[in-house]
Amino acid sequence: MNPILQTDAATLSPIALFMEADWVVKAVMLGLLLASIWTWAIIIGFWLKLGRTRQRTEAFERDFWKAEDIDAFYKSQTHTDLPSARVLNAGVTEWRRSTQGQKIDREGTRERLATVMGSAVAREIDQLSDRLNVLATVGSVAPFVGLFGTVWGIMRSFTAIASQQNTSLSVVAPGIAEALFATAIGLFAAIPAVIAYNRFSHAINRIEARLNRFADGFHATLSRQLDGER
Amino acid sequence: MERGEKIGLGLAVAGHVLLFGVLSVGFLATPNPIKLKQNPVEVSLVKDVALEAAAPQQTEAPSQAVAPDVGEPEEAPPPAEAPPQPVPAPVPEPAPQPEPKPVAKPAPPKPAPPKPAPKPAPAPKPVPKPQPKPKPAPPAAEKALAKPAPTKQQSAAASSKSSAAPAASKGKGKTETAKGEKPRGSRLGSDFLKGLTAEKSDAKPNDAPPSAARVDGKALAAIQQAIARQIQPCADRQVDPGPGANQIVTTLNLRLNRDGTLSATPTVVRQNGVDDDNRRYARRVVDLGIAAFKGCSPLKLPAEYYSTANGGWSNINYNWKLR
Repeated sequence: MNPILQTDAATLSPIALFMEADWVVKAVMLGLLLASIWTWAIIIGFWLKLGRTRQRTEAFERDFWKAEDIDAFYKSQTHTDLPSARVLNAGVTEWRRSTQGQKIDREGTRERLATVMGSAVAREIDQLSDRLNVLATVGSVAPFVGLFGTVWGIMRSFTAIASQQNTSLSVVAPGIAEALFATAIGLFAAIPAVIAYNRFSHAINRIEARLNRFADGFHATLSRQLDGER
Repeated sequence: MERGEKIGLGLAVAGHVLLFGVLSVGFLATPNPIKLKQNPVEVSLVKDVALEAAAPQQTEAPSQAVAPDVGEPEEAPPPAEAPPQPVPAPVPEPAPQPEPKPVAKPAPPKPAPPKPAPKPAPAPKPVPKPQPKPKPAPPAAEKALAKPAPTKQQSAAASSKSSAAPAASKGKGKTETAKGEKPRGSRLGSDFLKGLTAEKSDAKPNDAPPSAARVDGKALAAIQQAIARQIQPCADRQVDPGPGANQIVTTLNLRLNRDGTLSATPTVVRQNGVDDDNRRYARRVVDLGIAAFKGCSPLKLPAEYYSTANGGWSNINYNWKLR
């Protein structure tokens, strides 16, 4: 392999293809490249976060259901960055507020607990899926942007033919190769984005279901507790 | 931005740089074994060199028939012309031809004879042409003929020119072929029909085509080489405008005067060997070629091939190439 950077367009060198494009195609290529980088940054960040979250959530819930005293468990939890912990936190806070007074409205308390924990779950899911819309956008738009660059580049090639009165392949080929490179980058950015979007929305759906189950379980526990209150 | 996202961004940037770097180094480059570089090859087609590879054939046929025709005293001068012709055959020819001439000259009153007279006169001339070198010798004889004839010949020339060859530059005799044919035809009509055998008439038609000076392949090749040799000094002086420029072969059309000077600026007939790399030099190469011809322009070329029936160096194409 030649260690020197190839600047000949015939070698499929991205740098050469980029340098030969005109400014519209260059802008498209740069934008798509940034989109691709951002997509991968989101994918990697998401992957790390989800993996960590899943492990710790499992451990947290296992510990929670094993715990005898919810109050003691709640106080022993130091880290609150877990979605489950935040849902628990919301439920406990609402429970305390509702049971402070002398008279306890059981039905009202149950409803409030359900609402508060439901909104806590929704907020956690919103936060988790914050970046997913970027993936969705890149996945659906990048091919079109790349196609735009390609169409533009090919139009430019044809005007070059017209101006040079020369249809030889060596006149047309570089322009078309450079134009097609825009579509290539578009697909390069879009394909991982679409795959990641589908996988991550599936993962987030599972997390949401898990959080809802946890909230329901906690709500059931609190509700039982409420019946025990005088 | 969370820590995880920072890590992700760093990894993504690094990955993209790595991928594009690898691609740029030619990792996926399609090997390009067949560089379709067209190396111009000089091909000289024989047809280009000589339209007809024909050295004038000299046949001896014409001799016999003439004797019966005329018997006038002034035939003496024509024999003088005959000697320049190496072939025995031509000698007899002039004899008959002169006969008509004398008729015309001494007896201007006769309107009818003048026609045959001019015709025979040109006929002898064709002979000297095929043999360019002997020329110096014949002039005396020719002039002798030409001088007496001029007045008559003018009238004859008009008829002959209209009928045959406008190309004749110096001598009216250049239209030999046409004129040569005429006299025979006329002779046949007047003389032979009387009672001569068919053999003679057959022989004469065969003779008609050969009597013409033509450029053959060797002569043209020699002319081309002579041009190349003579403009070489000027060609060497031209600065090579850039890489690949000496791949360009430009066919220039030269219009030359008889003294070897250019009568017009050379024009481009076509260019070969132009590709993307040296296209920008194509125009420059043409200019250099024209400059070279102008610089070395009085070309010394064999005079006998200046203009012939099938072309000559008065109007010739030359393949110009730097170095």
